[in-house]
Amino acid sequence: MSRSTIIRHPLSRRQVLKGSAALGLGSAAAMGLSPAWATPWGHSSVYSKGVEEGPEIALAIRREILPIDGKTASTFSINGTSPGPLIRLKEGQDAVLRVTNLLDEPTSIHWHGLILPPGMDGVPGVSFAGIAPGETFTYRIPVRQNGTYWYHSHSGLQEQVGHVGPLIIDAAEREPFRYDREHVLLLTDWTFEDPMSVFRNLKTMEGYYNFQERTIADFFADVRQNGLEQTAEMRGMWAKMRMSSRDIADVTGSTYTYLLNGHSPEENWTALFKAGERIRLRVINGSAMSYFDVRIPGLKMTVVAADGQPVQPVPVDEFRIGVAETYDVLVSPEDDQAYTIFAESMDRSGYARATLAPREGMQAEIPERRQIADRGMEAMSVHMDGMDHSGMSNMEGMDHSNMSASEMEAMGHGDMQGMDHSGMSDSEMQGMASERAKTRENGMLAAGEAQPGSRYGQAGIGINPDERRVLVYRDLKAFTPWPDRREPGRELELHLTGNMERYIWSFDGKKFSEVSGPIHFEKDERLRLILVNDTMMEHPIHLHGMWMELENGQGELIPRKHTLNVKPGERVSALITADAEGSWAFHCHLLYHMDAGMFRVVQVS
Amino acid sequence: MRNTSMTLALFAIAMTGMVATAGASGEHSGGHGVANDADVERTISVEAGDMWFDPEDMSIAAGETVQFEITNNGHLEHEFVIGDKAAQEAHREMMQDMMGSSHHEGGHGGHGGHNMAEGEHGGQMPAVTIGAGETKTLIWTAPEKVERLEYACNIPGHYESGMYGTINL
Repeated sequence: MSRSTIIRHPLSRRQVLKGSAALGLGSAAAMGLSPAWATPWGHSSVYSKGVEEGPEIALAIRREILPIDGKTASTFSINGTSPGPLIRLKEGQDAVLRVTNLLDEPTSIHWHGLILPPGMDGVPGVSFAGIAPGETFTYRIPVRQNGTYWYHSHSGLQEQVGHVGPLIIDAAEREPFRYDREHVLLLTDWTFEDPMSVFRNLKTMEGYYNFQERTIADFFADVRQNGLEQTAEMRGMWAKMRMSSRDIADVTGSTYTYLLNGHSPEENWTALFKAGERIRLRVINGSAMSYFDVRIPGLKMTVVAADGQPVQPVPVDEFRIGVAETYDVLVSPEDDQAYTIFAESMDRSGYARATLAPREGMQAEIPERRQIADRGMEAMSVHMDGMDHSGMSNMEGMDHSNMSASEMEAMGHGDMQGMDHSGMSDSEMQGMASERAKTRENGMLAAGEAQPGSRYGQAGIGINPDERRVLVYRDLKAFTPWPDRREPGRELELHLTGNMERYIWSFDGKKFSEVSGPIHFEKDERLRLILVNDTMMEHPIHLHGMWMELENGQGELIPRKHTLNVKPGERVSALITADAEGSWAFHCHLLYHMDAGMFRVVQVS
Repeated sequence: MRNTSMTLALFAIAMTGMVATAGASGEHSGGHGVANDADVERTISVEAGDMWFDPEDMSIAAGETVQFEITNNGHLEHEFVIGDKAAQEAHREMMQDMMGSSHHEGGHGGHGGHNMAEGEHGGQMPAVTIGAGETKTLIWTAPEKVERLEYACNIPGHYESGMYGTINL
């Protein structure tokens, strides 16, 4: 219906000009000239790749050679830029987005986080057939929400070559905070390799991009700290799982250049401000595979929205952003100086960087990168349930006195009956407190209660909570309860599963190609989705078409999200109102995990 | 509000030796700047929302006694505290510390008193806490020799979201 086969040049003259300006931009930066994204005072420098204002927008996708980090890169561009332009809509609009495919392969755009008709969701094979080469597809979206979102290709691995961009919806009513200026910070991970060869490398050789394996020196350090027996045992367990305890990410800085608004750390994109202003930073993780820890040394950040939804403000020094999540934070720099916006990849193999400064050309110190963390007991907790325990008879007798609180909280409780908890403080016990949560007569937890096995009080691996104040899921709290106040009528439990060695990722042990049909939600039912991570990696789980209300223990003020980070060994839950009839994608948002099979269709009928 | 008494106790310990006593987290009586009904020269209506005050600035003559009538139209509890920028900041940091790091429960519930310096001349910070939907009043006499003060809500994150205004004296 909204499909047209007429091939014509969809670019307006203005867009063509902008495209060429963008082309010139990188080379200007390379020559040391004043960068093109520096705008004079009085103009917004919200985002460096151009803005397309709704309600009617035309987008053209093409293969284009653009400079990235001063080098020649083969990208998929959107209106001449990669990542694409900022799409700006208003709450209440009926947006019309015409997307023309100038590639020689099918493509698509998914509007991540938007609640919309199923045919407009942009997932080939689920919501529509995709956009064939030469075709224009018209998306018609009633915009009935506001906040910070993004868009990206949902075809194959196209997202990896820069087929992504920010999407902002301005609120119809006053938002619960005020600010003088805003900037978009879009984080992506760029590789000069062909994404298909990245995927092949992952398939054929586990740990291909992991050069941070433990060394013999580490071994002796561990022995000094933990004793020979325990060290040998831990190593033996990792070896059995065919993993290194340093497999924090599958794809790392050994191939990735981490970009902020398309710019490498050396290019140092600059977000301008005037001292005394309050600035809204709309942070979007549009990466294929990378989690980031974001901070601005010298500035407190106040988190005011998560996944586009307002939350009660939380002042923090740092926050972790999973793939596909968005956070809005406010900062108030009082001084006429530069601040480094530092987004360190979770595996510490690299970082994205920009500068918040009163003038162009300024910079501040770049913080030292932290050491890569080891996955300790945390990652093993689930595996101790499933694995052959014969090699672990010493577990019960292990001395846990050296364990950190996070390791303690992370452990499965079932296996640890014999443990001596005497050294634990109250805060270390908090992970277990959730087991005292309120239970209803039918045995199910009351709505909003945290699941036993959840770790909403922790930011995750490689974060030292004593070092600075770090956002955790438990901090997220809505202003008012979401409209559907019903208790869940049923629970649906899904396990996040994988085989690292063969690079197979799945739900409940079955790849998408192996399942016979969709997951069924009864139209208008209220259900609880429980996600249990049986793997040793974080997975950002995304449901299309409906919100997930994250049961982080905040009762009726639980936050709603489109993407939930599930840590290794963790069990999280969300309430869903199945009000969106149709077929919807449900998947891990790590691109290569999705492609490997960690994907399902949810059918609401 | 389970934390209130504990928080207050902690607060009292923290403040020992600085100022004698603080009231509960509601209205304070006595102390500098807080007058009684009879002295009120005018009433100023203030609307408190999530996360703003309306108006965002006001002018009051030095020595003038005013009654603030603050209505909370937001969904959350708010406070209305008068002090200079530095005192507000000190108060804010203290409140956040008292609530523990963001990793611990407590949220935006209980909080302590306000016996910080209102300005350079010392004394308590006049303050009132207003629950969602409530209206509270605060009678206050503007000090001499101070040019500018702020009224603010220092519940963690609220000031940072823009919940403050300026009093020009």
